[in-house]
This record gives sequence, structure tokens and C-alpha cells, in this order.
Amino acid sequence: MSEHTTEAVVQAPAVQDESLILEAVKEFFENRVAAVGLVIFIIMIGVALFAPYITPQNPYDLMSIDIMDGKLAPGSKSFDGSVTYWLGTDSQGRDMFSSILYGLRISLGVGVVSTIIALVIGAVIGLWAAFVGGKTDSVIMRIVDLQLSFPAILVALILLAILGKGVDKIILALILVQWAYYARAIRSNVIVERSKEYVEAAKCLALPQRRIMFSHVLPNCTPELIVISTVKVASAIALEATLSFLGLGMPITEPSLGLLISNGFKYLQSGYYWISFYPGVALLILIVSINLVGDRLRDVLNPRLKR
Amino acid sequence: MRNKFMALVTVCMLLLVCAAGASAETLTIGLKGEPTSLDPHFHNVNANNEQAIYVFDKLIRQDSRQNLMPGLAVSWIPVSDNVWEFELRKGVTFHDGSPFTAEDVKFTIERIPTVPNSPSSFTGMVSAIKKIEIVDPHTIRFHTEGPAPLLPRNMATFNVVSKKYGKGASTADFNSGKAAIGTGPYKLVEWKRGDHITYKRNDNYWGVKQPWETIIAKPITNDGTRVAALKSGDVDIINFVPPADVAHLSKDSKLTLSKSPSTRLIYLHLDSDRNDTPMVTDNNGKKIKNPMKDVRVRKAISKAINRKAIAARIMDGLAVPAAQMLPEGYEGTSKTLKPEAYDPKGAKALLAEAGYPDGFKITIHGPNDRYVNDGDIAQAVAQMLTKVGIKTEVNTMPKSVYFGKASALEFSLMLVGWATDTGEHSNCLGALLHTYDKDKGFGSANRGRYSNPKVDKLLEQALVTVDPARHNALLVEAVETGMNDIGIVPIHYQVNVWAMKKGLDYNGRTDGYTLPREVSETK
Repeated sequence: MSEHTTEAVVQAPAVQDESLILEAVKEFFENRVAAVGLVIFIIMIGVALFAPYITPQNPYDLMSIDIMDGKLAPGSKSFDGSVTYWLGTDSQGRDMFSSILYGLRISLGVGVVSTIIALVIGAVIGLWAAFVGGKTDSVIMRIVDLQLSFPAILVALILLAILGKGVDKIILALILVQWAYYARAIRSNVIVERSKEYVEAAKCLALPQRRIMFSHVLPNCTPELIVISTVKVASAIALEATLSFLGLGMPITEPSLGLLISNGFKYLQSGYYWISFYPGVALLILIVSINLVGDRLRDVLNPRLKR
Repeated sequence: MRNKFMALVTVCMLLLVCAAGASAETLTIGLKGEPTSLDPHFHNVNANNEQAIYVFDKLIRQDSRQNLMPGLAVSWIPVSDNVWEFELRKGVTFHDGSPFTAEDVKFTIERIPTVPNSPSSFTGMVSAIKKIEIVDPHTIRFHTEGPAPLLPRNMATFNVVSKKYGKGASTADFNSGKAAIGTGPYKLVEWKRGDHITYKRNDNYWGVKQPWETIIAKPITNDGTRVAALKSGDVDIINFVPPADVAHLSKDSKLTLSKSPSTRLIYLHLDSDRNDTPMVTDNNGKKIKNPMKDVRVRKAISKAINRKAIAARIMDGLAVPAAQMLPEGYEGTSKTLKPEAYDPKGAKALLAEAGYPDGFKITIHGPNDRYVNDGDIAQAVAQMLTKVGIKTEVNTMPKSVYFGKASALEFSLMLVGWATDTGEHSNCLGALLHTYDKDKGFGSANRGRYSNPKVDKLLEQALVTVDPARHNALLVEAVETGMNDIGIVPIHYQVNVWAMKKGLDYNGRTDGYTLPREVSETK
């Protein structure tokens, strides 16, 4: 650890050189399960990005769906014989395969975008609080405490009830429930880093505070940030699914994974299991793969666990 | 010692189990809808009216097929053209033991138009009455301005409250149970909003002795949860079984199902009044003049809807495509009206003729916890309208939010339902198609503000025509006029299904109510 930091002082901002990154990548792939998780995650991002080119149907276009194809079992042909529904259809005649890919788009998009924005906001606020200290720090941290004392789902439910429906509104709600978490995590990290010799050295060189904050301290906090945000992407996706399961968030004609599961929920006992089952499986795989990657990243990037 | 103690515990537990088994006198009902209030005059809506019948009585009852039966009144005759005389039942007492008299009836009728903030009231049912004359404590006369042939039908829609408790009582007093003192078969014990309403048997009830000691009515809005609650034994009977579940529930050896056709019409109301309607734009999102003022556009919307497909695919066959507001056989139904055939080409042609060859954009609003498959029906309608060029977005919401907004005219196209309580056409004509007139109680649910002077005139004429044949002919003409002008777009009549555990029997009702007094044990 100490070797690592002295190096950082000498070389100023560049904390990790290429060989360090390479080493980390190598170490990451030593764990087969995590490697599989990463591959699945990348595939899911791929199919979500290219959904319009892969799917046989745009499930959000009312022109291309027909209730005459409603509740068809997996493998059935459509009413006019033009499409085969490999994963069946829901009550409105939406192809489940297409709906799941489009749903993944929403889930991933909402999860990643909201996490990045929340991370940036949280990081800046946390860093600022830690550096300025005193009253500002107390006020900010009490606000953070207050927000963290409410369950995220509750805050998000209230926000969405006020904001209404739409992707932008879900993202906004997720940012508002997540930023505090990052602010807290970064602040504690920064306080630890601030007392280290490299910061003192930088101060002795009379570098401006902003430069110390962003160029010296922040890069040393990034491993933690990466780990937290990977795990948090998964929880943001789960939160979005929960919200849309409860009927908040996406409009019913543009179902995300949570809403697809909720639509199929009332048919679970009627034998139309596929309406809930496959979106559920997709959600499960997505979240598990992200968590596998996140776990492994934590192991790799945490210096304390180094051999 | 320890063994003895264990034995004692076991015996106690066995006793408890036996006691629980013996009190089969509790009936737990899983209901799709929770009432908005227990004030019987606050909100004329199915869930409220249903609960009101547990606690209160009407002057005239309806049997399970909506034929009139004596209730608190034993007989009713017109003594002259403008006067009805009702003879009231003797020996009836309220839950507190005070006697029921003509004073209570008078008080009830006077209270109805005065209930504050009522989202839809019973005012239309009593507006014909100009003077109430109490002849003696058990004889009452209603003087009307003109002949009022429908008075008995209207008297069969609302419940009679006690003057002693109702005087000055607010809707909140009824909800808390303070004023909910009726003559009905059950007494209100408590209402825990969102969880349950508990009733106790009224042992001094004037009618047949009730089979149930305690009634627990639980609102379980989610269809899947309601079915699961029945299967797990949490509730004994549920209403509005989701069509998709009928097939597998009927195979369950522990359950019994009963089906009944209903007067519950599911229809679209369209804003045909305002020039500037909130939810319509052209294809580029710019405001346009309300296209639905044009009957051709309304007709196109009706033609675009594939009613058979909705009945077959969304409702799993438990719906009958509708052409008017009541199924055939009820008073005032037209024999010539047929459900509009699905004709997307015809719809497009009509839109082009009306000046919308490329259609326009609209949002359809609907509840998602009120009618059977309401959210799915709204989506299906949107799908069908989009296919003829009317690009439709769907916005569904809980009924608690939806109806307030719909009544405040915040929508342009809305999915609604209407169950004709009176079992004849003047009720739905007056509420849905007659020009909105708060004072006369007309158009109380006319959320599209449809207005057609010819319909108004025919209906008002029918309301004062005593001769049954002439009365019926006028209603039929009014219905045909309104429906051919597409005042509303009828979709279907619900077929209602109840499911209960084996050993219970419920015949079902065309009005869709689940009345404990008609639930019996089969031995």
C-alpha cells in the first residue's frame, strides 16, 4: 500500500500505469464465474442496443401488434402466419422475445444512465463536503442521513406519483434516490485519503485545492467508486423493475421488464406462465451477471485483499 | 409436569381448532372494489351501493334478475296521474331499536340532493318528486309535477337512512359507523379502509333470518391476489373472477363457480361538446379543433373496434358485444340496433370524409382496477384505433384518481362502464346521453357532454308517459337516436363470474352485487 502511494506522489496524477491495469484485467479473468458474468453482461448490452435489428416486432408500435395473437404459447405462429413467437405472446399480442429485448433496453438504459449521473453528483458533493468540512459538511451529511433513512423504494414511489410516467421521470427519480449513497461513500474515502502523505506533499507544493481534490484524491478513490457503482447499477435496475411492477414509471403500452412481469402476474395461475416467466428470467440473468462482475471487481481492486 | 403442561396445551389447541370449525357462520367475501364511502347517498357507484344493501334497505328491492320486489314498502299504487302512494312495512326497526316510519323516508329523499361533494348522486332518482305527503306513519304519498311512471323503479335504487342518526350527519359520520344505522340484515362493526369491513347479524331483522353471524368484506383489487386468497382459504367467495382464471378454477374440486349475464356495459365516452379538447392533437402534436364533434369521426371510432375480438381474446368469451346500453329483453331496448361490425376500411373512409385522411393523435384514459380487464380493453381499443390512423396513447390509473379527473372533464376519450341499476333504459339514457343538467339530475355521468335535443325531448316525454306501450316506444326511439348518433361507443356487456368454496351457493345477480343474504350453505 505505502509503495503504491509514494509512487503516486512521484508521478502525480497517474495512479495506475498500463501494466497495473493489465494485471487487474488478468486477475479478473482468473475467476471463471466472473468471466462468464462479464460475457453475459456484454451480450445483454449488445442485444439491448441492437434490439430493433434483431427482434421480429416492435412491441411498442401499436400498428404491429394484434390482440388476435394474444396469449399464444411459446412456439406458436401468428394469426397471419408471418411470425413465430418463440417465447409466446402477452395478452395484447406482443411478442415476448421482442418485448424482453426492448425491456432490457429500458432497464439497462435507466440503470446505467441514472447510476452515472447519480455517481457524478454524489462524487462532487461528497468530495466538496469532505474538503470544506465544518458546517457545510455537517449540513450536507445530515441531508444525506435524512435521505438514506427512508427506504429508496418509498422515496421513488412518491417521486413518481408526483412526476408521472416516462423514461426521463424514472431516471430522475432514481438519481434522486441514489446520489446520497455515493456522497456518503466518497466522503468517507476522501477523509481517509486526505490524511495521507501524498496529499500533504501536494499541499506543500502549494497546489490549488481544486487540483488536489480532482487530480490527486479522486483518482485514488476510483477503485471503490467503480465497485460501488457496478453493484448499484444492479440495484437501480431492480428498483426500476419493482416500480414498473407496481404500475409506476413506464406507460402500459411500453412495458419494461417489471411491467411485463406484472402483466403476466394475473395469468400465472391460468397457465399462461410465459408472460411473467421469461421476463423474470431475463431480469434475473441481467442482475446476477452484473453482481458477479461487481463482486469480482471488488476483489481485484481492493488492495487489502491483494496477495 | 412438563408432559402434563404439553398435554394441556394440546387440548387447548384442539378446542380452539374445533371452535374455529364450528363458527362456519362467518362469511368472508373477497371483493374487487372497495367503496369510496359507506354513506349510501354519497356516490352512486356499484361498490358503494353493494355495501349499502348490507346495512340499509330500499323501499323497493330488486331480485337477482332486477325485477321489483317489496322492500320497506309493501305496496305502491298511483292514486292519481301525479300521485304515488306507498304503504310502508310495519314493525320494522333500525339497528338501535327505533321504529322505521314515513318520516325516515321523507328525510332520505330530502337528504339525497344535499350531500356535499358527491361525485355522482341519486338526485336524478328523486328529482321528479315535488312534494312529500305523510298520510300516517306507514303511508306516504309522492306528488310529482307530471306523471312519473318510473318512480317505483327509481325508488329501487337508493337506500333509506334513519332520520334520527342521519340528520346533520356528514359522509364521514357514515364512514365511522356513527350514522350508519339502518334497517338492513347486518350492522356495521368497523371499516378499516383498505383492509376489511366487518358486519354483525341484525337479529331483529324484519326479513328472513340471515344465515351468517359475521360478514367480513375484504377489498382485494388485484385479480391474481383475489383468486389466490380464495384458493388458500382466506376468503370464502370472490366476485369478478378474471376470465382467464375461469377455466382452471372450474376444474378445482374444492370450488364452485357461478356465472350470470349482467347489465354492466363497458363503453367509450367521447368529448363531443368542446371545440378545444385536452387530449387531441394533429399528427405533429399541434392543437386541433375537437374532431369528435363530427358524427363521422365518432362513427369511424365505433367501426374501428373489433368487439368480437375483444370478447374472445381479452375477455375469454365472458362478454357479449353491445349495440346499446342494455342487453335485449330489458325495457326500452331497440330490436333493430346491432353491434357495429368491425370495418377498418369503412372507418378510414369516414375519417377521410370528415377531413382526417391521416387521422390524428389522441390519448385514451381508463381505470385499471375497476372493471374486468379494464386496462387490457383500453390497450386493445388503442391498438384498433391506431390501425385506422388515430394514433392512440393509453393512460390508465387507479379508479380513485380516474373518476375524479373524468368528472372534471380532463379527458377526451375514456373507457367507462355503466350498470343500469333500475333495469330499464331511461336510467342510462338520463345519465349518459341526456344533456348535462345538474339541477334536474340529468347527464350525471355524461362525461363526454354529449348533447342531442331530440334524445332529451324523447326521454323527457317518456318519463311522463304512463301508458307502458307508448312509454317503451319513446324510450326505444330515444335509444336509437342516441346510438345512431354515436353518443357513446358501446363495447360489451360483462358476464360476471363468482367463485366460492364448495358448500356455498350463490346464484349471481345481473347487477353484479355480491349480497350475503343470497349466499347460502348447501347441506
